[in-house]
Amino acid sequence: MKVLVTVKRVPDPETTIRVKSDGSGIETDNIKYVINPFDEIALEEALRIKEKLGAGEVVLVSIGDSVVTEQLRTGLAMGADRAILVGCDQDLDSLAVARILAKIVEDEGPQLVLMGKQAIDDDANQAGQMLAALLGWPQATFASEVVLSDDQQAVKVTREVDGGLETIGFALPGIITSDLRLNEPRYASLPGIMKARKKEIKEVAAADLDADMSPRLTINSLEPPTQKEAGKKVETVEELIGLLHDEAKVI
Amino acid sequence: MDFELPEEYRMLQETVRRFVRQELIPLETTVLERDTQGMTGEDLVPPEAEERLLAVAQEAGLWGLDVPEEFGGLNLGALPKCLATEELYKTITPFTFPPDAPNLHMLMQTCTPEQREKYLLPYAQGKAHSAIAISEPGAGSDPAGMQTSAVKKGDQWVLNGRKIWISRAHIADFIIVMAVTEKGKGARGGITAFLVDKGTPGLVLQRQIPVIGGHAPWELVFEDLTLPDSQVLGEVGQGFAPMQLRLTVRRLEMGSWCVGLAQRCLDMMVEYAKQRVTFGQKLADRQAIQWFIADSATDIHASRLMVHHGAWKFDQGDDVRQEASMLKVFATEMATRVADRAMQMHGGMGMSKEMPLEFIYRRLRPMRIFEGPTEIHRWVIARKLLRD
Repeated sequence: MKVLVTVKRVPDPETTIRVKSDGSGIETDNIKYVINPFDEIALEEALRIKEKLGAGEVVLVSIGDSVVTEQLRTGLAMGADRAILVGCDQDLDSLAVARILAKIVEDEGPQLVLMGKQAIDDDANQAGQMLAALLGWPQATFASEVVLSDDQQAVKVTREVDGGLETIGFALPGIITSDLRLNEPRYASLPGIMKARKKEIKEVAAADLDADMSPRLTINSLEPPTQKEAGKKVETVEELIGLLHDEAKVI
Repeated sequence: MDFELPEEYRMLQETVRRFVRQELIPLETTVLERDTQGMTGEDLVPPEAEERLLAVAQEAGLWGLDVPEEFGGLNLGALPKCLATEELYKTITPFTFPPDAPNLHMLMQTCTPEQREKYLLPYAQGKAHSAIAISEPGAGSDPAGMQTSAVKKGDQWVLNGRKIWISRAHIADFIIVMAVTEKGKGARGGITAFLVDKGTPGLVLQRQIPVIGGHAPWELVFEDLTLPDSQVLGEVGQGFAPMQLRLTVRRLEMGSWCVGLAQRCLDMMVEYAKQRVTFGQKLADRQAIQWFIADSATDIHASRLMVHHGAWKFDQGDDVRQEASMLKVFATEMATRVADRAMQMHGGMGMSKEMPLEFIYRRLRPMRIFEGPTEIHRWVIARKLLRD
């Protein structure tokens, strides 16, 4: 079974993010980048499926300029078989990303596409759903459990929805986006790191894919969240209740 | 000239960093509690936690980093080993990726085919623990003062004497023992290395000596300890040079210990400076504190470059004794300065045994003594410069 896993390069969640003074973006100097954590979970699930079946192929795909090979190489070190880098240096919105991915899916013909539910940089949470729509494939988003049928023709996916869990099933091919609790991704093992050097990263130019990348979304400005104010110490319960009522207006 | 680390080395750093963050840092409170209760060495980490750590490390292939492939390792060389070591020392939770002690290079250079099967392979695979016995009550850095003797009687060697400050002697499956085989020749042909198995009659683990920094090495006594010829490690009389090689590698690694611990101190300083307010002003806004931080960052940067260079040069097959000595002096003193500043700016928190700084401070102090005290290394460095 061939599984395609999407990988986005995002700032390390532990990095301190600063918004540029003109609000046009974030300051990118000295920022560490990682694989989007939800994509890492998607990759882990793909690797587990392959290990369980004892056969198959896990293919990574990312879009961006050449620096993205760093994240692809890490994914290969975790155990993916090969990677595709769609070379592109313009900013893309979710629909453009989905359109590029649709071309890759048509070309690769995977039975399953595993994606992070969203990237932690823009939190758009759209690419998976849009890709499913473009391909006309079934989708299961926010997956917390994935069970492949014995004949490998269908999946049962437990989804984390408001107020509980929902289990749905569909026939493959299809798209699954991972939620946080799907699994705990493995380390890129040292032998894996050494092997990754020899694995293929195929480069294709986005421009050659005949995908409509025209922007439908523009970012007008970014601003950092407002700073939290320091807490207050109160002397008595009465004072606390009074402040909760009069000032915080929560009771 | 390219200072950029290769991609796979950076990935290795990342994997170890994550191992430290997910597995070792959460154990720090336990380590501090056990340290306060008087536990030392291997006991600082509970056995079940140690077992888990070894399993996770093995799963991630963090095993035998600098062990050649023929012995089941990854043959990565000293530089990646040092990079991984720096990450491991950003926590106070003691943990080493097996093999356990730095006797690999000495064994590789000296083992016979039989010794290779019996000692080197299990050691390289992390299945056997080793120790090395060099220092004596009357002879530390000066091998000419070594008293432990090995006398040939028929086809047997008989060892008598006393060794001190021997780490991990109680868990070692074998101990490399340095002994005098020809008096008066000293380091030039007079010292031989022997392999002594655990439980060999005449090997006495006399006492464990708790020392500063969470360690508790042993004093060993040899009473007519008899060994066949097959337990000689390397050539008779030629034990000193392989031992020197071992110490050189160890000193490079010690540089990484110091860089790791100092970096942890600096990270703590930066975080605390931005939080702590005194007299209406953040510590970060005070110049005295800024200097602490600037000087520490500079110190660490210099030492890290020395580690990278020394390890790289070693991997080229060059002699790095001089660089290793310089690093040993500079990095241990550097980390002492940084830890001292960190403790100073943390005030009461710096003194507390509930925080890592007090432990780090103690842990650093003996590093200026073992593996050759600072003064000896300065002397070695100067002697070479003045001779050439």
